Amino acid sequence: MNIITKTTLALALAAGTALAAPEVGQPAPAFTLTDSNGQSHNLADFKGKFVVLEWLNHGCPFVKKHYDSNNMQKLQKEYTGKDVVWLSIVSSAPGKQGHMSPAETNQAKEEKGSAATAVLLDEDGTVGQLYGAKVTPELYVINPEGNLIYAGAIDDTKSVDPADVEGATNYVKRALDEALAGQPVSTPKTEPYGCSVKYN
Amino acid sequence: MGKTFPQLYATVCLTTVWSHVGYVLRPLAILLSAFFLLTSLSSAQLYQGQTLVEATLVADTTAIVPGQTFRLGLLLRMAPGWHTYWENPGDSGLATKFEPQLPPGFSAGPLAWPLPRRIIEPGDIQVYAYKGEVLLVRTITTPAAIDTAEINLLAKSTWLVCEAICIPGKADLQLTLPVAAAAEPANTDLFAKFKAQLPSADQPPFTISWTATPTGWNLGLRDAGDATRADFYPFAEDKHPVGHTAPRDLIRGAADLAIPVAGFPPVRGIVVLENGERRGWTVASNTDAPVARDTPVAAKTGLWTYLLFGLIGGFILNLMPCVLPVISLKIFGFMRQAGDSRANILKHGLAFTAGIFLWFLGLAAVIIALKSAGSEVTWAFQFQNPWFNYVIGVVVFVFALNLFGVFEIVLPGRATQGMAEAGGHGGLAGSFAQGILATLLATPCTAPFLGTALGFAFSQASAVIAAMFAAIAAGMAFPYLLLSAQPGWMKYLPKPGVWMERLKQFMGFPLLATLLWLLYVIGQQRGTEAVIWAAATYLCLGLAAWLYGAFLGPVSSTRAKTLATLGILLSLLLGLGYFTGSLFTRSAATMPDKSAATPTDGIPWVPFSEAELQRLLAEGRPVFLDFTADWCITCKFNLRTAIDTKAVREAFEKLGIVPMLADWTNSNPEITRKLAQFDRVGVPFYLFYAPGRADDPVILPELLTEQILLRAIGAQP
Repeated sequence: MNIITKTTLALALAAGTALAAPEVGQPAPAFTLTDSNGQSHNLADFKGKFVVLEWLNHGCPFVKKHYDSNNMQKLQKEYTGKDVVWLSIVSSAPGKQGHMSPAETNQAKEEKGSAATAVLLDEDGTVGQLYGAKVTPELYVINPEGNLIYAGAIDDTKSVDPADVEGATNYVKRALDEALAGQPVSTPKTEPYGCSVKYN
Repeated sequence: MGKTFPQLYATVCLTTVWSHVGYVLRPLAILLSAFFLLTSLSSAQLYQGQTLVEATLVADTTAIVPGQTFRLGLLLRMAPGWHTYWENPGDSGLATKFEPQLPPGFSAGPLAWPLPRRIIEPGDIQVYAYKGEVLLVRTITTPAAIDTAEINLLAKSTWLVCEAICIPGKADLQLTLPVAAAAEPANTDLFAKFKAQLPSADQPPFTISWTATPTGWNLGLRDAGDATRADFYPFAEDKHPVGHTAPRDLIRGAADLAIPVAGFPPVRGIVVLENGERRGWTVASNTDAPVARDTPVAAKTGLWTYLLFGLIGGFILNLMPCVLPVISLKIFGFMRQAGDSRANILKHGLAFTAGIFLWFLGLAAVIIALKSAGSEVTWAFQFQNPWFNYVIGVVVFVFALNLFGVFEIVLPGRATQGMAEAGGHGGLAGSFAQGILATLLATPCTAPFLGTALGFAFSQASAVIAAMFAAIAAGMAFPYLLLSAQPGWMKYLPKPGVWMERLKQFMGFPLLATLLWLLYVIGQQRGTEAVIWAAATYLCLGLAAWLYGAFLGPVSSTRAKTLATLGILLSLLLGLGYFTGSLFTRSAATMPDKSAATPTDGIPWVPFSEAELQRLLAEGRPVFLDFTADWCITCKFNLRTAIDTKAVREAFEKLGIVPMLADWTNSNPEITRKLAQFDRVGVPFYLFYAPGRADDPVILPELLTEQILLRAIGAQP
């Protein structure tokens, strides 16, 4: 009887299991990745600070849109200046678009003028899959308590044209501004747009 | 621009010729136009020497006839392996844009998108796209009078073409068409081919139903004829991303498509059926707008009031009809314990209480988890899941066999030892399990107070939900804890004897009755077949239990034990593997949906929908709204004794009251939302909208009587 009851409980719990990808409002999944300078970063190291995760592939036209227009770099500068940790993550598999060696990564960071805190290399796609990142650019904002407070697109204009940056509503900027002011994020989840992450 | 020389030549010639030729030559010119001019202006997207996309502007006519519409198409031809995107690109990509730049007086209709295909990339990235070629069409309306001999149609297009990588493309396209009093169709094959691929806005030739599940919508398709495969492509919804639907094979014209989405927003999309060819129909979920689930109303009443309500509600749960069989079990348990020492009785009471608490706190944990996942969860939701009913059926049936004496539960040595170390003997585990079972069976009956209390809890923080459920658990456990602490109050109980064994056996029958009820609910949810397969499974379990009880005792020979074990394994395999794993599972997929159930009683019920309710109220009609479910015995009891009576039927008819039924047997988000408006999360629930009081309905008590109802509707003073 006891065993059956336990099974029942287990089944009832299993039936209620939620979706695999992390949900906004829930703790952001823990991870450790090495950056382009060989330094290891654990998400837990940044507890107490806002953290932005940006999925990156410099070959992707959507990423180019936001780097060629200087939009992404401006965001990085503005918020790293406000003590926000900005982590760009490359989940492209070796041999696929966007994959870079640590040296190439540093070179690209230099050339593009990226102000990200670090560029993390996730060539087996583990962390990308963990977060359910589907596209580049896809952005996540994590609050100082380690909870996910935003997931989705950089802005509301789905295009590859750098001219469209002007006039678009930047969801990441809005989420960070609201969160830094101690307010709840008004649009916590949006449909990201971009190229598929080049997983293996 | 990839304009070839012959095409260019033809264009120039025709343009020149057109201004000189007389009326006689027009048919010839039209014919020539069809060959050259209409497809002549294409644009190629080159990438590393390869043409990835060739874009061409095409029309379905040889000439523009003033005042008549024609169709203008963007034809994209992709290199092998490359794809462009549908209006909802899916996880990645970008919808193609096609914007005609038309002369004054002309206007373009919306873009008609042919059915896309699902393409799955590494990392389960799914996109909705076109390979090969695609024609995106807009209908062009022309002015009644045109004073030029020809019209130069311009269009801008941008797209993203992807294979392993993505390359954006764009083109400025043009097409020159003569203006004429009459025209011939052009590019007929091309337009016909893609017209057949457009989703139809007509009523689909199958029935659909939308039901809420913990992970999103379930789109049930029924009566879909001989189609073999069904798929769903959602339209883009920026604020609430819709996940991917796995395509399903149709079995006897039926399939259930799961549409993962958080928070039950309205969803629109295209159902695609395959039957040699692919056809699509536009469908929309049956809700107009999401309703905010955070109800501020309840916040006015303090937490302690609600905890008190929870306590009282939990206590009343003991008196609910669906708990009765277990109550008799518990009484029996107390009687057996009456011969025990006082300390032991209290231990049993505490174990029982712990069982109750474990269940309610477990339930709270599940609800908190689901709530955090953004799903719509309501009281008694477990019984909306046939699998849950099925598993409870297993528990109840095996327990009944145990009471009949078919087998005795002997816990494995290690478990018994564990129990003993935990501070009691094996019987405590039984009390603990009974506590769990009692609460399990109580959940579908929402007692008065409890509805309000839970309505409050669902909009609260996780800690408050846990406190709420703990209060309910305490309320439910209170009388038993009291009796076990004051066993003196049980001295009036009869003395132990042989009759106890008989009583124990007798107690199996109420459990079997409970099983009947569970099977009835399964039947309501999944049809007769499911009942048969569930029952067949129970039969196999029964056989296994008998083998266990008869041949695995301490006195049996090793050979008998081996054979019996083999028999048990075989019957479990047959029951769980074949009857449940294969047949019961399949029956679940093929049985018709029950959400639009029509009851068989004498009241002329109108099925509930918010739209229909608002329509009736706008007409000034009085409406009696009954929220019910097949698994809710209190609802059935109220129906028989208070609602479906001669006096009430006559009063409804005389006063012109519309009886409306919200059947919540299977989960239905529209009904859930309506309940939430009144801070309710369970049934029964009754509302009466008096004439002219559309915004302020009367809430009737959950334990309804005919007199209360007649008074409320104004049929009695």
